Amino acid sequence: MAEIEARKAAALRTARLDAVFSALADPTRRAIIERLSRGEARVTEVAEPFAMSLNAVSKHIHVLEASGLLDRRRKGRDHILSVNTRSLDEVDGWIARTRAYWEERLDAMERLLHELDTERNLGPKDRKHGW
Amino acid sequence: MAGESTGPIVQVRRRVRAGAEQVFDLWTKPDLMVRWMSPFPGVVDCKASCDLRPGGAFSLVMISGELSREVSGLYVLVDRPRKLVFTWVGPLTNNVNTLVTVELNPRGDETDLVLTHERLPTSAICEGHTRGWGNILDHLADAVSKDFSV
Repeated sequence: MAEIEARKAAALRTARLDAVFSALADPTRRAIIERLSRGEARVTEVAEPFAMSLNAVSKHIHVLEASGLLDRRRKGRDHILSVNTRSLDEVDGWIARTRAYWEERLDAMERLLHELDTERNLGPKDRKHGW
Repeated sequence: MAGESTGPIVQVRRRVRAGAEQVFDLWTKPDLMVRWMSPFPGVVDCKASCDLRPGGAFSLVMISGELSREVSGLYVLVDRPRKLVFTWVGPLTNNVNTLVTVELNPRGDETDLVLTHERLPTSAICEGHTRGWGNILDHLADAVSKDFSV
């Protein structure tokens, strides 16, 4: 069962990476991400610098949204776009690396606690720390 | 502090067989910090210093053979033995300022430790974007090759 779950998770991850990869394969879409990484913006602001119709830019934005790289929220009549930091951090592994780092550090902390406990039990003469 | 930022958050929980005071000291006394905070295996030349008050700095320099690593930050909140909040800058964060909160809740003889590591909001997250963009293709390549080798 656990193995099937792990395979499903891996397949999902691969599908997500595929979507991100193909979304980033296009120079216009990379330019959109670069623009939004400086701060959120309205759809019309994002479209402005490109020599193409608003409709064409909207299609690129939809591809980025579908890949999870962009978030869209409504503010009155405006649609505000922003980069989904979580998706970028997931893709480049920050979340996984950080979790692994602290799990390892806490393992080491527990080993040290055990060592200190042993030292303490050696008696007052050998005591290095005042616990 | 956790939960207020919009960036990604990593949370790790442990139940530790020690009192909260002892665990707090492991995090804040340089002679104890050097004994477990290094990510290098084996014998490591590790130096730690800290000025344990809000706004005070800490730093850890770890050297193992040719490799060296430096981590530093500033204490934001010091509430012995329940809570410690500090900024964290190092290779793990691509030298971007991040925030770590360590909460210690006594459970009889044991202590529940909750560690929260988050990206600071606003400017730090923007730097994070740039960093993410800079490294994204390398990491993607790694991640994809790993997925295909499974």
